[in-house]
Amino acid sequence: MARKTNGQGREWGRRKVLKGAAGFVGAAVGSGVIGAPMIWAQNNKNIVLRQCGTGVSAFNEIAEKAKADLGFTLQMTALDSDAVVQRVVTQPNSFDIGDIEYWMVKKVFPAKTLQAMDTKKIKYFDKIVPIFTTGKLKPDSVIAQGTAPSTVGFVEGKESTTFAKAPTQWFTMIPTIYNADTLGIRPDLVGRPITQWKDILDPKFKGKTSILNVPSIGIMDAAMICESAGIMKYADKGNMTKAEIDKTIEFLIKTKKEGQFRAFWKTFDESVNLMASGEVVIQSMWSPAVAAVRSKGIPCVYQPLKEGYRAWGGGLALAKHLSGSQLDAAYDYINWYMSGWVGAFLNRQGYYSAVLDTAKANMSADEWGFWMEGKPAQKDIMSPQGKLMEKAGTVRDGGSFYDRMGAVSCWNAVMDEDRYMVQKWNQFIAA
Amino acid sequence: MHRRGPAFWLLTGFFALFVLFLYGPTITITILSFQGPSGGLTFPMRGVSLHWFGNLFEKQMVGDFSGSFQRSIVLGLVTMVVTVLVSFSAGLAFRKRFRGSAAIFYLAIASLIVPSILISLGIGLLFRVMGVDTAWYSSAFGAHLTWTLPFGLLIMFAVFNRFDRRYEEAARDLGATSWQTVKHVIVPILLPSLIGVGLFGFTLSYDEFARSLYTAGTFNTLPLEIYGMTTNVTTPVLYALGTVTTGLSFLVIALALVSTIIVRRRRERHGSDAGKAA
Amino acid sequence: MRRVDAWVTYLQVAPLSLVFLLFLVVPIATIVVVSFFDYSTTQIIPAFLLQNYEELLLSPVTWQTYLQTLEFTVITWALTLAIGFTIAYYLAFYVRSATWQTVLFLVCTIPFWTSNIIRMISWIPFLGRNGLMNTALLKMGLIHEPLEFLLFSDFSVVLAYVHLYTLFMVVPIFNSMMRIERSLLEAARDAGASGWQTLWNVILPLCKPGIAIGSIFVVTIVMGDFVTVRLMSGGQTASVGLMMMNAMSLLQYPAAAANAVVLLLLVLLTVGVMMRLVDIRKEL
Repeated sequence: MARKTNGQGREWGRRKVLKGAAGFVGAAVGSGVIGAPMIWAQNNKNIVLRQCGTGVSAFNEIAEKAKADLGFTLQMTALDSDAVVQRVVTQPNSFDIGDIEYWMVKKVFPAKTLQAMDTKKIKYFDKIVPIFTTGKLKPDSVIAQGTAPSTVGFVEGKESTTFAKAPTQWFTMIPTIYNADTLGIRPDLVGRPITQWKDILDPKFKGKTSILNVPSIGIMDAAMICESAGIMKYADKGNMTKAEIDKTIEFLIKTKKEGQFRAFWKTFDESVNLMASGEVVIQSMWSPAVAAVRSKGIPCVYQPLKEGYRAWGGGLALAKHLSGSQLDAAYDYINWYMSGWVGAFLNRQGYYSAVLDTAKANMSADEWGFWMEGKPAQKDIMSPQGKLMEKAGTVRDGGSFYDRMGAVSCWNAVMDEDRYMVQKWNQFIAA
Repeated sequence: MHRRGPAFWLLTGFFALFVLFLYGPTITITILSFQGPSGGLTFPMRGVSLHWFGNLFEKQMVGDFSGSFQRSIVLGLVTMVVTVLVSFSAGLAFRKRFRGSAAIFYLAIASLIVPSILISLGIGLLFRVMGVDTAWYSSAFGAHLTWTLPFGLLIMFAVFNRFDRRYEEAARDLGATSWQTVKHVIVPILLPSLIGVGLFGFTLSYDEFARSLYTAGTFNTLPLEIYGMTTNVTTPVLYALGTVTTGLSFLVIALALVSTIIVRRRRERHGSDAGKAA
Repeated sequence: MRRVDAWVTYLQVAPLSLVFLLFLVVPIATIVVVSFFDYSTTQIIPAFLLQNYEELLLSPVTWQTYLQTLEFTVITWALTLAIGFTIAYYLAFYVRSATWQTVLFLVCTIPFWTSNIIRMISWIPFLGRNGLMNTALLKMGLIHEPLEFLLFSDFSVVLAYVHLYTLFMVVPIFNSMMRIERSLLEAARDAGASGWQTLWNVILPLCKPGIAIGSIFVVTIVMGDFVTVRLMSGGQTASVGLMMMNAMSLLQYPAAAANAVVLLLLVLLTVGVMMRLVDIRKEL
């Protein structure tokens, strides 16, 4: 397989060149119309980095832009999240950069196939949204339930696999995208206001609802509904006790037997198809999936709910085997990733990026206002692919970044009792 | 043989219904591949266009058709050839009782049963332990063989079942070596079945998902790539791919059929009897 | 002479054995070993425990799921056998030329060259509420409300199985039928047997090996399936394969491995029984 062939010696020179060039060109170009263009070293053309991750963020355009800006080749391989995890754990040599979800890091990192990153080498480390470092979106925020990214964001030392309680120099992953999920609805078909998670239980929607079909996340969807319906209250929805699991599954089985669910979805695409085809009128959903339904001319709303959101995040992790010039290239890639272009690209699809300042510099004021500040769009909002996403005057469902990410009730999680949970989940499916 | 009585028409009707059933999804795919540019993967149609056929040859948002398609085709063809050769050879062996034959037979059965996903994982781990990188042409190839070979072998059983040994004996009596017997007697007689095994092998490998999942290494085969694409918004371009595949297959088969008929006509005209042995 | 023959036989079967040894025996052995391991939320611990088996076999969920899988298997087997036999019979005895037989086989194969993932997606627009089937039935006035059971139900799971696996039944039965000497059928007719009697007393018994082989295919694939059942039931029906997948998705390999071992033993047993009934190697 194609691998790096670059000599080590040139690398050290390159860093210096990079600094000098960036300073010079940076001064010359100044802050352009949109953001500050970065100039990156280009003498690492023979390096190939292989990134494996879900299709959610494995965009070809990112690889192309990386090639243009950084010079080296980025090979994107898209898989579903289960497969990414298995690959990272069992085939550590088949990738260089893994794109993993935070809740699975709790399981993946201890497998010792990844290496921690040195935060000193991460240029924008201080600018990363604090959800991923201190855990608090704003200094007075409360950390939500579940596997909050900050709880698995750091390890105690370079070789350690013990997660640190507070930020250290060793970062497990660079956050790439994150978002808050809620119920998506077809306003033309539900025919009533939806305000709470429990509204999915309305007998009117019998046979027309759906939740996620990933055991550890589906059960949290269920927990949001249970809590909303007053069936029970959880100490931590992301880390239930056996008794809580029992009761939640019991509730799910009852609901299933009554025929409330139409189907459960697993991939992004399934949720879009279920909604667009009218099989389902209310289901837990991602913001970009709602946008995808809407782009087909079908009304669909990402409905903010009283109880808040169930959030998730993904990030880039470095494979253990990376070293030398390849490792340097990986750091370059990560720094480039957070330098704004990618952030803007992801924000425009309805996700959130990790470093907001740089992304803002790469978006127009109108785009930033619409996607991040909850302001009405001044002009039509286009997707990165140039398709119309929202007409002028629209306000984003759920409002601003702080409205949404500030109302997170729970993060996707791996429970301590996950062994028991899977057994109970199987019982639910078999019922 | 049977005259074309009512039974013939009844069975033809049944067969036609069966084919219609097989093509149910294909028909849906074909219709929906003509979706308008803003259309989705489900009904209703939003306009009619050829947009997605053009899009098929453009760069996708996520994933890459051409690279993964090439890999899958090459892998499918190699798997096909190896499956035919290995299962034919094993089929010959299994006509005799030999020590270990029962063990190998049950291994073939086990190969069908063990969930593909675990075989896949097992082979992936094996390569890791051996220190060899997994790749679609090595580990995934092996994984596909564990899927196609049991089929090949068992179909060879059905093929050799009640195979008239007198042909072989006659050949041997006429002084043919065993190699000549195989080449000039057994293979021509069994050719249609061997093609069938090959077809099976190709189809199974080309569409195999689970066994490639942890064995394909860095690069995806087509089914993996398509699955990866469904983790983001997918478009009717997937259907366009299906329609083009189906269309091309029909074209190839039609061409093959026409050329066979032409060749046969020519032979008949020239009074040659070659090729009639089968 | 004998010696040489034996050598040739072993040589002929060597490639097959080699592939199985490397790519099958080793993974199976790994699975068996791992099935005794312990595991926690974050790691797999090498050990020799029976706990995985205990948790599996003592849980009523397991039995329920195995029963469900068996039920699907039996229904699918019966349907594919009935349909597959009829199709094979038609192709073998009513389609005259080898060319046409090949062409019709190819026609049946073409749908399978479109990736299964794409075909699976297309079941929604085909069978869904606003799908092709319901629309057609509504327009013909046969129904007044869309039929909901067409998709995301046990019905749709079986339908997809029959769709996917009938050909696995057709091919071996067809091959068996082609080996039946035509003179035998004429003899039967001359002896005054009716069409049905010939079918029942001559053709069917001679097709037994083909039927057995096809049955092995269908039974084994359906027993291990997890993709079809998940997609076609909308994730609402369990299968043994799905149980394993759920465990694997949380890296609980030992639990999945124990389940795989149990499934493997069960299916081998089933096939063993089938082989008692029809020795497919006897008449080779």
